Amino acid sequence: MRYSSFTPYDIVLLLQGLGVSVGLFLATSLIGLLLGTVWAVIRYYRVPGLWQLMSFLAELLKNSPVLVQLFLVFFGFPAFFRVNMTPVEAATLTLSLNTAAFVYVIAVSAVESVGRDQIEAARVFGLSRWQVLRHVIGPQASAFAVGPLVALLVNQLQVTSLISVIGVVDLTKVGNILNLRTLKPFIVWTVVGLLYYAAAKLIAMLGTRLENRLRAHSAWKGL
Amino acid sequence: MLKAENVRKVFGSTVVLDGVNLSVQPGEVVSILGSSGSGKSTLIRCINGLEKLDGGRITVDEFDVSKPRELAEARKRSGTVFQLFNLYPHMTALQNITLAPIQVLQQPKAEAERKARALLAQVGLGDRGDAYPAQLSGGQRQRVGICRALAMEPRYLLLDEVTSALDPEMTADVLGILADLARGGTTMVFVTHEIEFARQISNRIVFLDKGKLVVDLPTAAFFSAKGGMAVPRIAQFLSKMRKD
Ligand SMILES: Nc1ncnc2c1ncn2[C@@H]1O[C@H](COP(=O)(O)OP(=O)(O)OP(=O)(O)O)[C@@H](O)[C@H]1O
Ligand SMILES: [Mg+2]
Repeated sequence: MRYSSFTPYDIVLLLQGLGVSVGLFLATSLIGLLLGTVWAVIRYYRVPGLWQLMSFLAELLKNSPVLVQLFLVFFGFPAFFRVNMTPVEAATLTLSLNTAAFVYVIAVSAVESVGRDQIEAARVFGLSRWQVLRHVIGPQASAFAVGPLVALLVNQLQVTSLISVIGVVDLTKVGNILNLRTLKPFIVWTVVGLLYYAAAKLIAMLGTRLENRLRAHSAWKGL
Repeated sequence: MLKAENVRKVFGSTVVLDGVNLSVQPGEVVSILGSSGSGKSTLIRCINGLEKLDGGRITVDEFDVSKPRELAEARKRSGTVFQLFNLYPHMTALQNITLAPIQVLQQPKAEAERKARALLAQVGLGDRGDAYPAQLSGGQRQRVGICRALAMEPRYLLLDEVTSALDPEMTADVLGILADLARGGTTMVFVTHEIEFARQISNRIVFLDKGKLVVDLPTAAFFSAKGGMAVPRIAQFLSKMRKD
């Protein structure tokens, strides 16, 4: 067997790469969802100083390339703050913050989509701001946000491919390695692309199921 | 007693309430009349703490709505029914009614639901507890809105043009329920354009004109030639309303 031909072990490599991509995606999505939601709650309470800071941070993260953010964190932070960072740590930090920024934007518009009049009614009946968030705004805002959130997550999965440039051996990096070895770019990148596609489809499918669940209690929407 | 003393409210450079005095005793039905823009809704919104006062004082059973500590108590004592119902669309009629009793009064769920079902039955919606607002007609939604306010067992019921979004038949429905409540001794502050109805159920009628409370009279006196009708603004208002 020639060095440049495909071997069964390449499948293991590809699956490992996929595992790293999906693992990182899951971890950063979870952190991003939590963090973005917390930011949105801080904004809801208009915590002085803090909420303007959150908005500004979200703006920055949303309007600059992820690749640049990644370089800043991986190369810039160690140089400036004198901290050591592995590629995986840098990737996790960057992608989590980036996801959080977009989650924040979606959550804020979801909260704003809930009619003022209902919120006033709930306040007049004595519900605290937290109770209003929990019982009136939350359920309606999540039904509103789940569509955009799923679209965001599908996109963030693709964005994980950028981390290969700082040396994380994700699916794209594995593709790169195989490509250099076999010199069959068409086959390699088709397979890699299809694997991303399958993972994205899976996320979209789970998302649609969740969306239907969340909207089931709001049968009023369909009327 | 519900009491407004010298209440002043400004939006930008417009004075919307200008030295309003009003007191409502338990058991009374007081109607607030006045043309569009005279400040009726704003007065209600000041009483239930949705607007901050720019002057004066409002107390609900001695609890000052301008003091954050007392507002919660004041709000427990008044219940509001809104012009556009303001129901929670993602909750069933029953959940709309029980939310505040469970969360604010900490009633056990079963008890809150039992009371809510009794209220719904009382307004002829005994079988619609599980319907979402979008599945109800306007009149039915407003009846749910009334039940939601009554479920808090308020000492004062605040109603702001609760029938103006309804067609005449549904209006008659809802007014019928309010008349029952008035007969049952529920204290009401009733903003309305339904002059005849106000005349039937009110003990007193007050008239707001450009943010000033110009008369406050017992119902019969308000409609008498020497009382309210002697005020040109009111005579003009009433004749216009009757023509419409
Ligand atoms: N949030 C607000 N900001 C600015 N102006 C307001 C606001 N709310 C009310 N106003 C103004 O205050 C005045 C009184 O309004 P209000 O809604 O109290 O009148 P109203 O007597 O209830 O009228 P209607 O019979 O049409 O309901 C109006 O001139 C209105 O434009
Ligand atoms: Mg009004």
